[in-house]
Amino acid sequence: MIDIAIIGGGPAGQAAARQTLGAGLSTTMIDEQARPGGQILRQPPAAFAVKGWMAGRLYRPLRRLLAQTEADIRLDWRGGTSVAGIERIEDHFRLTLSGAHGGTLLARRVLIAAGCYDMPVAMPGWTLPGVMSAGAVQTLLKSQQVVAGQPIVLLGSHPLLLVLATQLLDAGAEVAAVLMPQTYGRMARAVLPYLAGAIFTPGPLIAAGAAMARLRRAGVPMMMGARPIGFTGDGRLEAVDYAWRGQVQRIAAQAAAVSYGFLPQSDLPRQIGAAVRWARPAGGWETVCDGAMRSSIPGLYVAGETTGVAGADAAMAEGEIAGIAMALDAGVRPPSGMARAQARRARLQPFIDLLRAAADPGEVWPQATPETLLCRCEDISVAQVEATMAQLSPMADASAVKHRCRIGMGLCQGRSCEHALVRRIAAARGCDPDAVTPFRMRFPARPIPIDEIIG
Amino acid sequence: MTHEVLIIGGGLLGCAAAWHLARAGLAPRLIEARGINAGASGQNAGSLHFQIERRFLEPGASGQGADIVRLNRLAIEEWAGLEEQLSRPLDIHMHGGLMLAESEADLALLASKVARENELGLPTQLLSGAEARDLVPRLAPHVCGAAWLAREGHANPRILADAFAHAARASGAVIETDSRLLDLHRDGHGWQATIEQAGQISTARARHVILATGHWTARIAARMGLNIPLYLAPLMMSVTDRTAPFLPYLIQHVGKRLSMKQTDDGNMVIGGGWASAPQRMADGMPDLDAPPHLVPDNLRANLAVAASVLPCLRGRSLIRSWTGMTCISADQLPVVGQVPAAPGLYIAAGGSMFTLGPLLARMLARSIIERAMPEEIALFSAARFAHLNAFVVPS
Ligand SMILES: Cc1cc2nc3c(=O)[nH]c(=O)nc-3n(C[C@H](O)[C@H](O)[C@H](O)COP(=O)(O)OP(=O)(O)OC[C@H]3O[C@@H](n4cnc5c(N)ncnc54)[C@H](O)[C@@H]3O)c2cc1C
Ligand SMILES: Cc1cc2nc3c(=O)[nH]c(=O)nc-3n(C[C@H](O)[C@H](O)[C@H](O)COP(=O)(O)OP(=O)(O)OC[C@H]3O[C@@H](n4cnc5c(N)ncnc54)[C@H](O)[C@@H]3O)c2cc1C
Repeated sequence: MIDIAIIGGGPAGQAAARQTLGAGLSTTMIDEQARPGGQILRQPPAAFAVKGWMAGRLYRPLRRLLAQTEADIRLDWRGGTSVAGIERIEDHFRLTLSGAHGGTLLARRVLIAAGCYDMPVAMPGWTLPGVMSAGAVQTLLKSQQVVAGQPIVLLGSHPLLLVLATQLLDAGAEVAAVLMPQTYGRMARAVLPYLAGAIFTPGPLIAAGAAMARLRRAGVPMMMGARPIGFTGDGRLEAVDYAWRGQVQRIAAQAAAVSYGFLPQSDLPRQIGAAVRWARPAGGWETVCDGAMRSSIPGLYVAGETTGVAGADAAMAEGEIAGIAMALDAGVRPPSGMARAQARRARLQPFIDLLRAAADPGEVWPQATPETLLCRCEDISVAQVEATMAQLSPMADASAVKHRCRIGMGLCQGRSCEHALVRRIAAARGCDPDAVTPFRMRFPARPIPIDEIIG
Repeated sequence: MTHEVLIIGGGLLGCAAAWHLARAGLAPRLIEARGINAGASGQNAGSLHFQIERRFLEPGASGQGADIVRLNRLAIEEWAGLEEQLSRPLDIHMHGGLMLAESEADLALLASKVARENELGLPTQLLSGAEARDLVPRLAPHVCGAAWLAREGHANPRILADAFAHAARASGAVIETDSRLLDLHRDGHGWQATIEQAGQISTARARHVILATGHWTARIAARMGLNIPLYLAPLMMSVTDRTAPFLPYLIQHVGKRLSMKQTDDGNMVIGGGWASAPQRMADGMPDLDAPPHLVPDNLRANLAVAASVLPCLRGRSLIRSWTGMTCISADQLPVVGQVPAAPGLYIAAGGSMFTLGPLLARMLARSIIERAMPEEIALFSAARFAHLNAFVVPS
């Protein structure tokens, strides 16, 4: 049995490992990716030689942490491995692993630092080949050094699109346009209350300004107030439709990168029954924790975007707090550094609030039509879901709808569609999404080849 | 007011009983602690197994097999008429079932089982390995025989209880979810129930009460001072990703725990009575409300048995495993009807109550409507355990 299992090798997991290893606790880190880094520093395969990879100033602390993690021989690193199951048994945890290091792992304490993923948004034509999430386009670029297709249109409400646009330009891609549905005025009104506080962490704001200037110089149209309508094409993406000043416009594209926000990874916390709440603004479920990142389950900690989407700096701070807390709770470390890490996390909050306000898809959410697929694994349309909901009592929860029409029963087990279904049920009931009971999360968190289980 | 019948539990048994009672004009009230179909009725394998089950062939269970066949023959007719009775599609497939043999010993067991079933009027047939592979070409070459029953099959457990609840409401039943029975005691000639709904406590009086509370039944009865010999059976199920249709039949195994079928959508559903591990409460007793833990060794073994007879499963992926609880009685047969020590209190529980549920719910309703236990199910009456309540003081 090991002392600490850390699920996720992103900034949060790495920062926690520094603390637990420093305190002399045996620590295993499990990640689906082959190499540590998480989403923000998704590394190219070891065999690639990439010059100036993620060289920006903002990435410097993250790169330093990554170098420390990779050099630390005390860390038991298990890459290429998914955590498919988590259970609490008496006073410890049992993880079921799948992939390169399959099997079970027993640990006294577990940190879930599993990050977040792109929120899939159901809009007309979204399942056409060529339509991708912004994160997927970025992952191809960062890790495989591949441009997903061009000309490419970037669209959605999330400012990450600006970062992605500059990364694509750096890679020599043809960016046709960036379409953001919020107007400048709306965005300004939304962020204004948070601006004063955020001025203490000016780095990302300056970077956003620089990105906009970069787009202007490159002649990329950056259209605020352009509302994406849908995607068209014969068998694959050919054009993006959007509303601009009351008129429907069409722009040709081979690829589209969509971002309306991110959903916290919640399958493992929910599988083990940790308390979660509806995440703002985009949705999904963030795991509830105390100031020391303890979840509602004794011995289970959470950090980084599993607790809510807040960016890499917050993830690092939370990882450090969780690492210190695990060492304290294990009784092997004198209480030092905690207050400092917590203060660092607190200073970031105004910027996080600002970013959330800026990215809020609130009233600019794209509209699905009755034929739009909500569940692309099982091909369940909006119309089918609405017909099912109409047959059920208004108090029926997400699982009841699922049992009747198969939404969320496919390969992804609802990771893509659950948030949209919960929102629809909440709207029909006139309640908050938090009040809707979501799907029950079960083993395995990722599909596992039967051959691998049998051995 | 006094209800004629109060039903506790909105699983398959409770909802089906509510429908039969409502059609007879008894306007039952049903209360369900969570949601309709939230218990075993919505979590089971959906197998309609009418051959003598493997568990009845194990040493020490010799007599019960014959009794269950009588019931199974009635259940076949019940299922065959269900879609018409409820006038809606229920994904009922009765295209046949194969109980497989992988060894000479298996084959001998199958042969004696088929002979016994035929004597009892159940038309099972013994097939050779080659004949079984004619039906399912993907069966492993070492499968050496099978018992075939043309009317076995499977149905969709996700929709059945709801269909009954829907029909019951339409016939005048009152069905309330998020309504939990807290306490039940005698009150004159009837019963008084204490019920919690959305944090509010109320009481209700009823002449007849049905405890259709699945694996909770023994504990609820125990709180009333009644002994009902029902024991917890925590189980697990697994489902794979979809594949093109190739298996219209139910597959079981005579020597190993296995049930397997392909759904309309192409997923393979695999189970067969492998145990999961209940969560424990502070005092060490199993927590009846919490989903049991999956037992990794059992998951592996269950999938291994499945892939051994159907090797193509090795190319599929597991997308979901789940656990659920049901109960079995002391003699493995269902326990149905009035509890002699508690006149007016009815139960219906025990194993395989998906296959038998629609039939037994009808019989239970009849025993209330006709004030007498239908003769067909006399063998399964709760009265056979009356001796366990010989020392109960009526409350
Ligand atoms: C696709 C994508 C791109 C992003 N790009 C940027 C960007 O350019 N700039 C920016 O500021 N922010 C970006 N973000 C946000 C970014 O994720 C965070 O700022 C930061 O990386 C969060 O750190 P973390 O440690 O919480 O999680 P992550 O960095 O996401 O690390 C979590 C790790 O957990 C692993 N994991 C998850 N579930 C399991 C499991 N069941 N088993 C095993 N391993 C698992 C994942 O493989 C991942 O490596 C992006 C997010 C996504 C999803
Ligand atoms: C994994 C698994 C696989 C199975 N496979 C098969 C199969 O293939 N074939 C087969 O024939 N059988 C199978 N079974 C058995 C079958 O599912 C059950 O026998 C059957 O569903 C029992 O139905 P029920 O209505 O009695 O109980 P349940 O469906 O459990 O319903 C009982 C209801 O009572 C409610 N309740 C409990 N306490 C209270 C209270 N105090 N107040 C109000 N309500 C309360 C519960 O919430 C629940 O909804 C399987 C069972 C499991 C768990």
